[in-house]
Amino acid sequence: MSLQEIIKDDFIAYQQQADGNQSFTNIRKQAFHEFERLGFPTTKHEEWKYTSLKSIIEQPFRNSCEINADAVAMAVHSPLMNIDAHHLVFVNGSFIAEASSLKPLAANVIVKNLATARTEHPEQFDAHFGKYAKVEGAAMNALNTALLCDGAFIYVPAKTQIEKPVIIYHITDSTQFQTLSQPRNLIVLEKQASAQVVEVYLSLGANPSFTNVVNEVYADESAQLEHYKIQQQENDAFQNNFTQVFQEANTNINQVTLTLDGNWTRNNLHFYMNGENCNTLLYGLYLTDGHQFVDNHTRVDHAMPNCYSDEKYKGILKDKSTAVFNGKIMVHLDAQKTNAYQRNQNILLSDEATINTKPQLEIFADDVKCTHGATIGQLDKEAMFYLQSRGITEANATKMLLNAFADDIAERIKIPELVAIMEEKIEQKI
Amino acid sequence: MLEIKNLKAEIEGKKILNGINLVVKPGEVHAIMGPNGAGKSTLSAVLAGRDSYEITAGEVSFNGKDLLEMAPEDRAREGVFLAFQYPVEIPGVSTTNFLKTAINEKRKYQGLEPMEATDFLKFMREKIELMEMDKSLTSRSLNEGFSGGEKKRNEVFQMAMLEPTLAIMDETDSGLDIDALRLVSQGVNKLRNAERSFVVITHYQRLLDYIVPDFVHVLYKGRIVKSGDASLAKELEEKGYDWIKAEVEAATV
Ligand SMILES: Nc1ncnc2c1ncn2[C@@H]1O[C@H](COP(=O)(O)OP(=O)(O)OP(=O)(O)O)[C@@H](O)[C@H]1O
Ligand SMILES: [Mg+2]
Repeated sequence: MSLQEIIKDDFIAYQQQADGNQSFTNIRKQAFHEFERLGFPTTKHEEWKYTSLKSIIEQPFRNSCEINADAVAMAVHSPLMNIDAHHLVFVNGSFIAEASSLKPLAANVIVKNLATARTEHPEQFDAHFGKYAKVEGAAMNALNTALLCDGAFIYVPAKTQIEKPVIIYHITDSTQFQTLSQPRNLIVLEKQASAQVVEVYLSLGANPSFTNVVNEVYADESAQLEHYKIQQQENDAFQNNFTQVFQEANTNINQVTLTLDGNWTRNNLHFYMNGENCNTLLYGLYLTDGHQFVDNHTRVDHAMPNCYSDEKYKGILKDKSTAVFNGKIMVHLDAQKTNAYQRNQNILLSDEATINTKPQLEIFADDVKCTHGATIGQLDKEAMFYLQSRGITEANATKMLLNAFADDIAERIKIPELVAIMEEKIEQKI
Repeated sequence: MLEIKNLKAEIEGKKILNGINLVVKPGEVHAIMGPNGAGKSTLSAVLAGRDSYEITAGEVSFNGKDLLEMAPEDRAREGVFLAFQYPVEIPGVSTTNFLKTAINEKRKYQGLEPMEATDFLKFMREKIELMEMDKSLTSRSLNEGFSGGEKKRNEVFQMAMLEPTLAIMDETDSGLDIDALRLVSQGVNKLRNAERSFVVITHYQRLLDYIVPDFVHVLYKGRIVKSGDASLAKELEEKGYDWIKAEVEAATV
């Protein structure tokens, strides 16, 4: 049976036990039909040219929301658990209340799992769910929407701040069988609201796993969001991670993606600026070794005038690993006075590592400032010799230079524990 | 302490050092002069362990150990220091953190405990004062955006911090203003002692007015073609290199 057929059976089973919420059931039904129509993307699609799903869809993954105690324990052991924060733990997309812990919240703030929020706060849920991550023409989003398990729902009312970070742990557990896990997060910030959100991706089990995530973020006027994604899945983990951020006027978003592990990762990070004076910073670091594959596709839609976006992705590639960077900036006809910057910088630590980097600027307005650039290089030999000539070992000199390379990404992260994990990983990988 | 015998080195088949012989004893200051392209920086880089050169002959012993066999970091830990002609800018690496790492690696090599953070800062403050360094430089990334003169002064400051037994200074005087030249020379003189030796590469007699050498050597076409005392530098200042070149050509014909 092909993965697509397995998914069809899963969907039929789901329909038989679907609850009474008609609009939600309809959204999922439509999404499933869209997925059926599109099928999995192939390398013939422009957006998937360098990124083949073939090895994934030939495997008999089973869509699962099952919970396993070991996976729960794993989240509890994450060093991030020690942070003074709201912690939400999910295993295979299912919410684990016992492992989660919330601090007191300001009035009307919602930090819950999506399934509970859907019944308890239908107004907020229906107003935003599925409104930003479109399923039309997007097979992987359609698949997630049709068969998603659960995930986090964060809702911050106007003029309110969630003071402590919200940390969302998604653990894909494939101890029993080849698991397809489909988490879904929804973050809504009303006018002048602010929050700090961390998504953590972990995995457990020797069988291959496939995590297909969709995140939707809505930022109403003057809202502010610090948003970090840290991907630490293991050996045989495949992950497709789609995030759509929808920004109204005067919003500030700072987004950092750290891809530290995982066999195969495809990230799609999209921003749509729907009002003036938006500020968007999107930064990322990918560390690859072995046969790892990491693909970052980003898209920033400057739809309105006077917005600013600054993008910087950096890669450190070792062994026979491969990375793809594709950064699209769309400056729409009305988006005069746009400032958009993009850089992708890579250090290749081996001759056998590969990077495909492609900036894509589509500019329809005439009064804009856009720059982009990509670099691919090795560790600076002169700098290495300089450090060594002061008595610093080759390994430590390498570590110092790579940490320095990653420094401007680290600077964007306001949670030191995340930076520590990143630096530890750099040290471990070299 | 340093004994160089018939050292030959080349890069991409181009012969650069053609049989260098030099003995440096503890506490001595040797000046090396010579025209552009003679091989002075190459000699210093080979001693410090830059791996882009191929050593085709000769040996170098440092305190009885085979220097050429050692990794660059081990040479440094054994007490060799090279003040670079062109110090490298390293953005993102703080000068303080770099020095702390370097000092502690050396201590580890010597079987000592790492320096406590407070002791380190105190030690660094002392050296900043001794060298009359601009303190703000140590809080910046290593050499990043430093002026030419600031880079040179930072090299001498690092030397003071790392307390080598053999300091090789490659044109540390070029690019320094008159006051900085005096400060750097005073700094070096403060570091002079009976155990510490210096190899000072320079184009200008002026530096040697401050740092008075025990020996002056002329390097030309990869060989030391003339050696003398401090007066040789004065002679070169007056007459240039033509007479030496002529002597060498006459001898090889
Ligand atoms: N990496 C290299 N590739 C090719 N040639 C080199 C390389 N490094 C040095 N050389 C050559 O070796 C010769 C000696 O260079 P070196 O830098 O040692 O001279 P120097 O005596 O220090 O000169 P200066 O007084 O100008 O600093 C020069 O002809 C130089 O071009
Ligand atoms: Mg030179």
